[in-house]
Amino acid sequence: MSTRRLALSVAVGLVLADSSVVVLALPEIYRDLDTSVTGVTWVLISFNLVIALAAVPSARFARRFGPGRSAALGLAVVAGGSLACAMASGLGPLIAARSVQAVGGAIAVTAALELLPSVVGGERRATVTWAAAGATGAALGPAIGGMLTEWVSWQSIFLVQVPIAILAGIPLLGIVREEMRTELIQRELRDPGRPHVAANVALGLVSAALAAALFLVVLLLIEGWRLTPIVAALVVTTIPIFALLGSRLAREVPNQKVRATAGAILICGGLAGLGLMPKAMIIFTIPPQALVGVGLSLVLSALTETALAGRSPQTIHGGWTISARHAGVVIGLLILTPIFTSAIDTQRDDAIAAGTAALLDSELPPLLKVELGDRISRQLGGAKGRVPVVGPAFDPPPGDLADQPAVDQLRATLEDQLDRAATQAFSSSFLLAALFALLSLIPIRMARRVDL
Amino acid sequence: MSEDPTERLDSGSSNRGRILIIGSIIVSLILCGGYLAAGGASYKPASVQNPCDPRPWRDPQGVEEIAQQFSLSALDGAACRLGVSREELAQALTTGEARRQFAEDHGIDDAELEEAVQAGLVRAIDDAQDAGAISALAAIPLREVAKRLPVEDAINLIGDSSRLFDNVSGYIDGAGGLLAGAQDALGQANDLLPDEIRKQLPPEVQDLLKP
Repeated sequence: MSTRRLALSVAVGLVLADSSVVVLALPEIYRDLDTSVTGVTWVLISFNLVIALAAVPSARFARRFGPGRSAALGLAVVAGGSLACAMASGLGPLIAARSVQAVGGAIAVTAALELLPSVVGGERRATVTWAAAGATGAALGPAIGGMLTEWVSWQSIFLVQVPIAILAGIPLLGIVREEMRTELIQRELRDPGRPHVAANVALGLVSAALAAALFLVVLLLIEGWRLTPIVAALVVTTIPIFALLGSRLAREVPNQKVRATAGAILICGGLAGLGLMPKAMIIFTIPPQALVGVGLSLVLSALTETALAGRSPQTIHGGWTISARHAGVVIGLLILTPIFTSAIDTQRDDAIAAGTAALLDSELPPLLKVELGDRISRQLGGAKGRVPVVGPAFDPPPGDLADQPAVDQLRATLEDQLDRAATQAFSSSFLLAALFALLSLIPIRMARRVDL
Repeated sequence: MSEDPTERLDSGSSNRGRILIIGSIIVSLILCGGYLAAGGASYKPASVQNPCDPRPWRDPQGVEEIAQQFSLSALDGAACRLGVSREELAQALTTGEARRQFAEDHGIDDAELEEAVQAGLVRAIDDAQDAGAISALAAIPLREVAKRLPVEDAINLIGDSSRLFDNVSGYIDGAGGLLAGAQDALGQANDLLPDEIRKQLPPEVQDLLKP
């Protein structure tokens, strides 16, 4: 692989990973910046919203200004925005810095599509490389973000991007110099024509479903089941592993409509599986994530290729696909976040009622019941909009060791009820996300078959 | 006539596509069906029992156990009257602030709360009598007391009814013990009741309560 091709792939992968890289860090950011679940979701939404809005204008900018210069400028803005994100001391500055990062990302990723055909030798190979880099970035983002959050801090997610963006920009300086040497190319700024509506709508719906798969699984694991970010990162690595396996499968089936259909069905099935988990155990998240991973690799590449096939200029239509994908993520998050935060409150109340019943019916001495009841209710009281943690309510242990087995039993019952509540709270959102994937079959069916 | 290799390629590709789509549907259905069969649709917090339904007493063997069962029955009775769960009412009665919030959330005034708590105590006395924890003789004046107990005292009694059952072993120890137990219970009830309320009791109950 040439240096330029690698640099452009890294640029595209970095920007599309950025869409989801903070997912595993959100609980940490939530606690660190002392905000609400809805507030912290905007760290994710702002980035995707700005990219959705900026992608097509960025593509036009790249064609007018020169793709090499645009890509280098975009990566420089990504580096600056990332540094600002790492230094942000509050939610507002972080959201503003994420928006700057997104503007740079939109410019870099659309310019990369303009540059790739000359670097890889052909539009089709360029499209495949661009789509594959994007899918890899999107799939790997949460896992990398989780590991960095656990090992270093949430700020490190952004700091790491600064040298990556700069290193990816260095090989592009050669292209910038070439552009500077030549006379300003009079580009053929003809009307790019209409975007491929069906493929882009399908991309939006599938991306809304995938936002749920990545964002909600992570929140369920960390906030619901109380796993550490590193364990959660390992669990969600299932998606990129199976996306890799799925990409081999994708090569066996050239028909884009077939791949898109199968991919959307698998994502739908995987999300429905996540919504129907029979127990709060990691093992039950693996098969659904495997389906989502394979589905993701099939559907994203197929729809991106369909949206770009036979359309020129590629940059503008690539801009539309980026816009559709990120708009889908934004719509998915805006619809699903209030649903699961409200479900968390309802389910938490049910879990507290079930836990209170367990406390009342336990065989503990009355005074210990009253004391534990008081500690538990204080512990649960401060957990609005999230699943509470009951562990601290059981410290210190009871004075009489004879009561310890009954206390342990009560704690296990309470934690089981909270696990049930957390899993159930996310269920409706996963099922709704599965519906998004199912609905994407309509535009996929309508999409005109284009064999490349 | 020999087959066109391009057609054979198209046909092979089309078959692979069909297998991929059908396979995706089957795998998805197996996953969802398997999770449903394993209880995926019912994995949610346990629902609490309707407080109006009878809740049998667990083989009470001592003061503390009987006092706890009494408190739980009283909570059930009060919650049933208010149309809330026993658990929600228990949380509401922990502090004055929680009680005010509960009353505000459910639009319950002081009189309604007092009436519900008194009804809860009456149910607890009925349940205690059915379980053999107190005698029928002791139950009569206790009910009259419960119906007139001020709300704060009634809530305190639900929280800690052990003083009502200090000599509970007497209640369940044969006829002699039963009578002694009844006298103790009446004595405790007498202590609980303010003078002005005692005067409102039927004369025969006032006689029973005389120390």
